[in-house]
Amino acid sequence: MSYALSTLWYDRQRYLPGVLAVGFSALLIALQCGLLLGLFSITSIPVDHTTADIWLGAPEVLSVDLGRPIREASLARLASQPEIERVEIYLQGFSYWSKPDGGTELCMVIGSRLDENALGKVKELSKDLYLQLSEPGTIVIDESDLGRLGVKGVGDHAEVAGNRVRIVGLTTGLKSLAGPYVFCSINTARPLLRVFPDQITYVLGKCFNPKDAATVVSRLKENQNVSAFTSPEFSLRSRMHWLLKTKAGIALGYAAALGLLVGAVVTSQTLYSATAASLREFAVLRAMGIPRWRMQFMVMQQSLFVGIIGVGLALPAVHGLAAVADYFGGRVELPIWLQSIAAIVTLTMALFSGLFALRSLRNVEPAALLR
Amino acid sequence: MSTSPNLKSNIKLRSGVSVTSITGKGLFKSFGEGEMQTTAVNDVSIDIKQGEVALMMGPSGSGKTTLLAILSGLLKPDSGKVTALGQDIWTMSEREREHFRLKHCSFIFQGYNLFSSLTARQQLEIVAQWGDGASSREARKKADEILDVLGLLKKAHLRPGELSGGEKQRVAIGRALIKNPDFCFADEPTSALDWAHGEQVIDILRSAAHERGCTVLIVAHDARVIPYADKIFYLEDGKMIDDGGKSIHKTYGKMP
Repeated sequence: MSYALSTLWYDRQRYLPGVLAVGFSALLIALQCGLLLGLFSITSIPVDHTTADIWLGAPEVLSVDLGRPIREASLARLASQPEIERVEIYLQGFSYWSKPDGGTELCMVIGSRLDENALGKVKELSKDLYLQLSEPGTIVIDESDLGRLGVKGVGDHAEVAGNRVRIVGLTTGLKSLAGPYVFCSINTARPLLRVFPDQITYVLGKCFNPKDAATVVSRLKENQNVSAFTSPEFSLRSRMHWLLKTKAGIALGYAAALGLLVGAVVTSQTLYSATAASLREFAVLRAMGIPRWRMQFMVMQQSLFVGIIGVGLALPAVHGLAAVADYFGGRVELPIWLQSIAAIVTLTMALFSGLFALRSLRNVEPAALLR
Repeated sequence: MSTSPNLKSNIKLRSGVSVTSITGKGLFKSFGEGEMQTTAVNDVSIDIKQGEVALMMGPSGSGKTTLLAILSGLLKPDSGKVTALGQDIWTMSEREREHFRLKHCSFIFQGYNLFSSLTARQQLEIVAQWGDGASSREARKKADEILDVLGLLKKAHLRPGELSGGEKQRVAIGRALIKNPDFCFADEPTSALDWAHGEQVIDILRSAAHERGCTVLIVAHDARVIPYADKIFYLEDGKMIDDGGKSIHKTYGKMP
């Protein structure tokens, strides 16, 4: 075991604040980003919960919920690609929901085909539900939005953009951000979105081989009259748009920076005081001519170990807290890349703290031992 | 405690004990300025041969520790010259002097100054690894050899908090001797110990000098150290007093 690790283990109570500070920083970064990712994953539900490989929309679409009308003839453009197995039309857009007892609410109408293999049908729509939706004027909403939309449940009526609709079913787990999701058929969606008969929002495509989606998309992108994305691309684009538009990214940056700052200060002070406590011992080594860099290297090793242990403690805690958040209805997404970034950022912070703590070694003065 | 046989088998012997090892000429050192200026070392010259145990005595504030710091390359004199192994150490650059200390000098201080988190073995290994660039296996072997000589092999796994004062000072000596130094500078190495342990410490240093050829300079108050010294210097008010031992006799009573 290295001297750094021996010291760390023996003086663990002294180093504990540093370890906890590093852990706290890693936890803060991972959990906040995870919460934000979870929150904004709601915006990409229409992409993530359907089975299309490719989305074709109006030029420069910023997010799936901000699609603009395109001509239905665009269907042919995607259908003509040799890698495409099948295509279908898709309608999505904001509309106004009039509550039965007065008041309006913004809602997100999604009209898709409703057969079993439909590309735009969210997976939460059971066969029973999508069969019922084939009746004009029927809709399905998520149970979490009942209160927001002022309705009690299945069988209730409301108005969307002046059109009377009837709730025939409820989904679970499809929470909304800007406006509750209203699922219906293409025919029901047209009047709710007030689009012309030959207008749609997206063309969805399925490839024979999903791996070909990127090739098809890059080919379609050469045409400036449309925008095309693979499903993962469109999902990420939608999330990033909302992340940046709502300035939540800035809030996240501040919170993460503050967490890092607190972590850095505590860690560097911990390392500084631990090193300062051994100044006389280091001075003996300096008197014997042992170069200063050896001691500096040991402090840096300690900062690395403090970082590794801190991150090692933080990651299980992050998963535990994410499970707690899930239990209470929150949503935390913790992809591996996010955990890796949190770990790397925090380890870098720990190393910088070590660099800052090196100043204590400047006070190592061998001659002082002889006074 | 007898250490001679083991030391002989472990460490190279140097020949020619009459060779001058370290010389100080016209050394002068003062602290403060103006009226506050005090002279710690005043025109001192000193000469110690290789393999000698030199004892530096004198009342508190007489400048013994300052002289030790100057001779060992830790404190620059205002004037004068220190020649060690034929090299003028105060005309060297800081880096050269550091390298000189690395190759030739070791120290034992009044406090043990051992890392509280490291075992007795690790206290020695750290010097071998960081100083000589020894591998961990070599460092462990060297450390165990020295600890064996010092009678501490069975306690090699213990940390300073688990060792007695005498044992801690022996570990500190081991740390000084593991690099097989040409000079060992010891500042009051027995002051925190009872005489039984103090005698062990002095005996080890004497063995290091006589059997390994290490030049040992000890600063001490304790008159019981006197019989173990090959040469005794007496400092008073920064000046070296050479009066045939009268001052020593006056300060410390009858020589043991």
